[in-house]
Amino acid sequence: MGRDERSISRRDFARTAAAAALAVVGCERRSTQAVHLRFWNGFTGPDGRTMLRIIKQFNQQHENIQVTMQRMDWGTYYNKLFVAGLGNRAPDVFVLHSDQIDRFYRAGLMTPIDAMLTDGRVPMDDLDPNVLAKTSRAGKHYALPLDVHPLGMFYNRRLFADAGIAKAPQTQKEFVEALHRLKRAGDGGVAQWGFVLGWFRVIMYSIMSQYGGRIFDDATGALTLDSPACREAMSFMAGLIVEQKLVPEIENLAGMIGFRQGRVAMVWEGIFMLPELRRQTDLEFGAAPLVIVGNQPAVWAGTHNLCIRNGLDDRQTRAAMTFLKFLSDHSLDWADGGQIPVRRSLRQTERFAAMTAQAAFATQIPYVTYMPSTPFTVEYQVEFDLACDRVLRGSATPQEALADATTNIQRVMTRYEHWNTGSAP
Amino acid sequence: MIRRRWAGYLFLLPYLTLFGAFLLGPLIYGLVLSFMQYDMLSPEPAKFIGMENYSEALGDAYFWKSLRATTLFVVMSVPITIPLALLLAVAVEAVNGKRQMFYRIAIFAPSVVSVSVVSLIWRWFYNKEFGLLNALLAPLGVEPIGWLNTPLTAMTGIVVMTLWWTIGGPMLVLLAGLKQIPAQYYEAAAIDGAVGWRAFARITLPLLRPALLFSLVMNLIGAFQVFGQPFILTGGGPELGTRVAMQYIYQTAFQFYRLGYGAAMSWLLFLVIAVFAAFQFRMMRER
Repeated sequence: MGRDERSISRRDFARTAAAAALAVVGCERRSTQAVHLRFWNGFTGPDGRTMLRIIKQFNQQHENIQVTMQRMDWGTYYNKLFVAGLGNRAPDVFVLHSDQIDRFYRAGLMTPIDAMLTDGRVPMDDLDPNVLAKTSRAGKHYALPLDVHPLGMFYNRRLFADAGIAKAPQTQKEFVEALHRLKRAGDGGVAQWGFVLGWFRVIMYSIMSQYGGRIFDDATGALTLDSPACREAMSFMAGLIVEQKLVPEIENLAGMIGFRQGRVAMVWEGIFMLPELRRQTDLEFGAAPLVIVGNQPAVWAGTHNLCIRNGLDDRQTRAAMTFLKFLSDHSLDWADGGQIPVRRSLRQTERFAAMTAQAAFATQIPYVTYMPSTPFTVEYQVEFDLACDRVLRGSATPQEALADATTNIQRVMTRYEHWNTGSAP
Repeated sequence: MIRRRWAGYLFLLPYLTLFGAFLLGPLIYGLVLSFMQYDMLSPEPAKFIGMENYSEALGDAYFWKSLRATTLFVVMSVPITIPLALLLAVAVEAVNGKRQMFYRIAIFAPSVVSVSVVSLIWRWFYNKEFGLLNALLAPLGVEPIGWLNTPLTAMTGIVVMTLWWTIGGPMLVLLAGLKQIPAQYYEAAAIDGAVGWRAFARITLPLLRPALLFSLVMNLIGAFQVFGQPFILTGGGPELGTRVAMQYIYQTAFQFYRLGYGAAMSWLLFLVIAVFAAFQFRMMRER
């Protein structure tokens, strides 16, 4: 190694060291100024990559706020979030589905966000009132809804054309007629089905709501699952499966597997299934609102609500609200991956109209219905699932199944009763 | 002497620390919890309620149902796993050289895959209308079978999948046991005229006893703790027929947030496992 080279490298070293020192000082100054927000959610699929892009954009545009996102599977997400919250380690911003809000609210883990709704940062009249209402407790709004993801119908255009069906069925009569025309026998079984159930919890909840049935009374919260409306809804679907054999036995995932194989003409799935269907380029599918088999329109939906942790200081809260507003303003980017924005102004854009599946599902927003949010959501859902399971397999009548579910949910409610009357946080 | 003893503990320290922090500590904490009413959603603090959680569990139809599902899994899986693993081990041992390596890897490979991946693949595989299994059976004239649609066939499905997934573990243990048996024994026996089945029954099996006992006890404990496979393959269905004890305990503690009650049920499950394991040790130790 020559002398010159060594001196150059020494000079370089000094320069690098100085730059590094400056960088450290700079970083330090920046980190004392910038508010750091931790954001948790369950977007582990393609939706997570979309969210990451939006956050990167946010971080670039906001020097004084830095957001880091942590994703985990929805299956374990709520446990971790809840336990972190109780241990005072909750993330600053997090996502809750509408049916989860109640227990986090009761545990005192959330902060009201009314300030940003009333000062016009996110205009209240731009949000769908029935979606926003689900975030409200004791006169305050505890979350900003980001999207709506209702159930809807995906149908196979080619199978429809082959069966001579011009448009997606929308009434019970049209639906049952389509089932007859689409079912085709094959060797040793059925080669093609008109409709296969997927996630039966939300499908059955949608149909029950279409007959006017409720799990809990809207006003009193009393258990009303064992009602003529719910029984009628269950009988309708059980009839299609068990008696008429127009729909195959219920089996997890079956609907989507068959639909992607081109052997099922219709599935009722969430709009969030769109990316998966789009990946399959040889599948010509259309999207339509859910069939209304009962006497009134209703369809299950979920919503990702943006929530702010309780106990942040003013500066952190302001930063969190800036972040919430940014996500809400950019919810069309979010919608592209199989969601529908809650902002009406964004849904009226040409860009949204070009998202045909989302636009078709969005027509249902005025009548979407959420699963009730209670402190014992998982417990009543287990019983609800069991009742549907038994009836749809023909091993119990709707009367028997709903009576048993009522007994079991009532027992859970009794356990919770003294908390409801006690001081809620 | 004393210094040397302390040195021993010093070497054990890393293990003991982890053991204390992640096993012994939580174990004792769980035992204490099982006597408390600790519902995370309740604004009330945890309180001591004696044996109430235990008496609730004994009267809880769902707990008994889940124990029955677990027992069904154990009864269906353990008696097949160990003989099959032994058969595979003997077969693999009979193969020479590089080909043996191939079979060892081939049989063990599924164990490397995570339970969720395995279960998801098999869920597609078992699907009644659109699954591969029924598609393979159709040309043989077999009507489509709803593998996951009745409690018994669903449990059979779980057992078969578990066999495919985990057979490599006990197979390797037994194979290692086989390799420990000196060849001279077989040579001496052959001179006395004992070959084939007789050599297997008189030499292989007795000398393999420790390895068999180890595999059997581990497999039994593992089978009682079955969770991931039914959780993902069937979600506990149909009609809660495959909701095993571990899944019910998990739901109770971490979805219903009743930690005390969940802890009590897991101690009851522990008792059941301990009784079975002790019984097995007895059976294998005698003679």
